[in-house]
Amino acid sequence: MRRFGRQCRGQGKIFVKLVRQTETQLLERGSSIAALVQEAHQALQAAPHLSAAKRERLARDLSAAQEAHQQISTQSRRLTQGKKLPHCKIVNAYDPTIAPIMKGKSNCPAQFGRKPGLLSEPTAGFIFATAVPVGNPSDASYVLPLIDKVQHAIARVSGPKRPSIHSVAGDLGVNDTVLRQALHDRGILSVGIPKTVDPINPEPCPEEILALLTEAGLNRKRTPHQVQLACACGYSRPVVESHIASLLTRGAGQIRYKGPQGAVVQLGMTVMASNGAALVRIRQQRLSKRAQKFRRLLGLRRRNVNQINDSET
Amino acid sequence: MRLLRHLQHWLRGSGPRLQVADVVPKTNSIRQWTDTFPWTKLVEAVEQSFASRFPKRANGGRHPVPTRVLLALELLKHEVGASDDAICERLRTDVAVMYACGLDEVQLDSPQAHFVLPETLAQFRSRIDDTLIDELLAIQAAAAMDEGLVSPAHLLVDTFPTEQGSQRVTDATTLYKAQKKSSNSSRSASPERPR
Repeated sequence: MRRFGRQCRGQGKIFVKLVRQTETQLLERGSSIAALVQEAHQALQAAPHLSAAKRERLARDLSAAQEAHQQISTQSRRLTQGKKLPHCKIVNAYDPTIAPIMKGKSNCPAQFGRKPGLLSEPTAGFIFATAVPVGNPSDASYVLPLIDKVQHAIARVSGPKRPSIHSVAGDLGVNDTVLRQALHDRGILSVGIPKTVDPINPEPCPEEILALLTEAGLNRKRTPHQVQLACACGYSRPVVESHIASLLTRGAGQIRYKGPQGAVVQLGMTVMASNGAALVRIRQQRLSKRAQKFRRLLGLRRRNVNQINDSET
Repeated sequence: MRLLRHLQHWLRGSGPRLQVADVVPKTNSIRQWTDTFPWTKLVEAVEQSFASRFPKRANGGRHPVPTRVLLALELLKHEVGASDDAICERLRTDVAVMYACGLDEVQLDSPQAHFVLPETLAQFRSRIDDTLIDELLAIQAAAAMDEGLVSPAHLLVDTFPTEQGSQRVTDATTLYKAQKKSSNSSRSASPERPR
């Protein structure tokens, strides 16, 4: 939440008085918009030559424009009076869902956009779910909706033994007590989410494992082996940056489609394309030593030599 | 001319047919990538979603471009980093792209038979919503889990920033860019030091 007239890292000189005066003039000029919109609505209803569908579309566009003006003028009034905003700044008149994404960098060229979240597996970088929220919410708010999506995917598995989520790892941004409790309630370990800047111990001793299980209240649901893997996964959390880099190389760093819907479509398609490449790597055993070891510990299927030879010919 | 372009995919040839799968080697990266997708389920999900949200009003009109072709083009576009124009152009010339789009045979004397306009691709994309995207991703994940290739046991969560739309140009940004530009130009204009 920022106030108008803050000291930015650039020049730091903002002529508050001049901006306030200009803002007042602009707001006065825009005050007649509500009446004009009302008139336009009436004229639209009375237009006999327009089809019902076209009339509806124009009325919808008019309402959207009026709403956008109201939001911008409200924000402008608050900022010029030095009051805090209850939400992010509106930075695009045509799309109020776009938000500032990099704080404290007034002279940085990439400032506005979206902050998608992803949930990936740590071996080959297969991404199970993505989310493109409106604005710039806290990182912790991404986790449960993403897990719901993974549960939805698990429900589609037709095999006799359905997989389950054992643990979730993240950075300090997702360190939230309420979230931890919600994860524990679902039987998911949160040992991969750090509480301090210190790295997570990848090989906890049996006493520590027991303490972690007791703390989470999952003594009967999760085994010590699963806790060990969760700790190793939390320790290797930075590997997720390579999964993000894989998306960025496929153009996810710049959303080219229009609006929030466009962002969802572009990111979804990019993720699916990236998943395809990850599956090719898995099938060809082109994985790092760490990933191969992790897959072995997870008991994931390893194709036999004949199958590999067959796929290469 | 525009109408002709629209009608081109109606044209049919009568010459020999090229078996696409015989031409594209199994080691081809696009072929390997294509073989990882559960196409039947994905296409079914897309068609179901479109049928419920955009019901067909009349039975007339020409046959639509198959959903499989459009979905594959959209995915391939992100895999190879191509534009709509470029990927539609490659569909006419690149046999691996034809394989990705599920075209089994191509008429040799009628290369326009599988022509897709970039506008058609954009229209297809505009019909996709977030529920459908989640559905497609869930189908892909479920297929991979079914095959035993991936496991959701231990997951990593993270966020990353992406740009969208035109970026705001502040006074500070303009001044910063101008200073950088002037310093670069003065550096390049300064004479070389004598050795």
